[in-house]
Amino acid sequence: MKGLATRYAPSFALVRAHLGFGIVGSVLFAAALGGAAWNLEGHYFQGKILGLVHLCALGWILPIAFGAMLQLVPVLFEVPLRSERTAWAALGLYAIGGIGFVGHIALLATVASLPLSAFLLFLGVLLHATHLALSALANPVRARSLTGLFVLSALAWLVFAASLGFMLAIHLWHPYLSVNHLMALRAHAHAAGLGFFGLLIMGVGFELLEMFLLSHGAPAWPGWGALALVNVGLVALCWNFLAGPFPDLALVGAAAIALGVVCFAIRVQMILARRMRRHLDASAWLSSGSVLCLLGALVVAGTLSFAGLGDDMQNRLVLAYGLLALPGFMGTMVVGQLYKIVPFLIWLHRFSAYVGLKKVPTASELLDERSREIQAALMIGGLLLLLAGVLAGQSLLRLAGAATFFAAMVYSARNFLVVHGRRP
Amino acid sequence: MTPEEMKKEVRTSLYDVYDPETGLNLIDLGLIYDVEWSPENGEVKVTMTFTTPACPAGGVMISGVERRVSTISGVEQVTVDVTFEPPWTPEKITPEGRRQLGWG
Repeated sequence: MKGLATRYAPSFALVRAHLGFGIVGSVLFAAALGGAAWNLEGHYFQGKILGLVHLCALGWILPIAFGAMLQLVPVLFEVPLRSERTAWAALGLYAIGGIGFVGHIALLATVASLPLSAFLLFLGVLLHATHLALSALANPVRARSLTGLFVLSALAWLVFAASLGFMLAIHLWHPYLSVNHLMALRAHAHAAGLGFFGLLIMGVGFELLEMFLLSHGAPAWPGWGALALVNVGLVALCWNFLAGPFPDLALVGAAAIALGVVCFAIRVQMILARRMRRHLDASAWLSSGSVLCLLGALVVAGTLSFAGLGDDMQNRLVLAYGLLALPGFMGTMVVGQLYKIVPFLIWLHRFSAYVGLKKVPTASELLDERSREIQAALMIGGLLLLLAGVLAGQSLLRLAGAATFFAAMVYSARNFLVVHGRRP
Repeated sequence: MTPEEMKKEVRTSLYDVYDPETGLNLIDLGLIYDVEWSPENGEVKVTMTFTTPACPAGGVMISGVERRVSTISGVEQVTVDVTFEPPWTPEKITPEGRRQLGWG
């Protein structure tokens, strides 16, 4: 019977392990960012910045994305996971490889254990992606839907990004690539950030926004437009990075991606306009902030591509681009969605058995709105200060921003612990 | 109790079952399409829908309906049928539901 997706829900422990990993990672990343903020400048290819970027992506964003997908794939595709044991094995490989890899890359320790940790990490990501894709493909009808194609193409880009990352790790240890490693690094970053995370958020976001906001009837064409344009644009951009330079192709790719993001924003606006829930909560504000960060990153990318800038300003803009893309676009989206996912999981596993027998709180009542609002304000405020500090080259401003951002991430961990502690 | 009285009793009881995301009860959210009562075997059949086929709380709402209706005196058996024909639309939300969602 359709609509009984909860019967396919994976074990609470599996999802909780991934989300817990990511929440700890978010605090560690914020602490590391605070430690590095005073001197956060210069070219991006340095251990400190590469370490921060990978701690953010691998320690925070990706484990939460995996945890959310393990919960959502059975719901969205109406199938059970193929094998929870495989998901646990993938997490083990991912955790061991990821911790080792981030340590090596932060120190730029180009020793034999660098490719070894990268290999374990690569295996973990590959296992996760393959397992999720095979689970989703068990329902071919849903797999061919707009959401299905977003999720499956996101997983394909993840495998591509992880493969490039693994090749780059070997190259750092023993240089062998004929292609410029900085160009390969750009392809890796864009495949991971826009290809995996961007497409995943777009596809799942459409579905979740309609569900949470009780919005119906938004036309699907901007969604199909976003799917096609971002995928085609990324292929063009990566081809330019890996086989180029082909300036015209890069321009077409960037334009396609920008149009795709605009299509995404148009559909989000259509969903918002048709919503039946009038009040927008902190989760919605964080998600809106995330979309603005993505649009901001596009503006910075355009400025970097077409304006004749000095080295110093170029470096600042690259850092601003990274801030807007990682803790900005991905981080605020992840926290915003977690404010929906974590209370729902706790509600499902601890409170749902009492529905119909006694009054139980709703999922959102497991955490007071004020706590969410304070955290969201700290997070957005911290990011804005950091961004201003990076663009202005002001150490004090960067430090103030990083300290505020750290407070926000500690506060978000506190909020999730409060929800986790709720019992009937 | 007449069939009409029992149907009314069942509908009233479903005001106690809530959608966990919106906090709206199933009646005001417009999810309950039909209630049937067979006095011969004490069976209540509830036909309902979800706001979307991929509703993560679908199974929980079905269990909630079963649990709540089975507490009514005279009910021996509860069957919940889920249908998406016709699909749920926001127009099915009652005026009270709209008020609780912040409209009016």
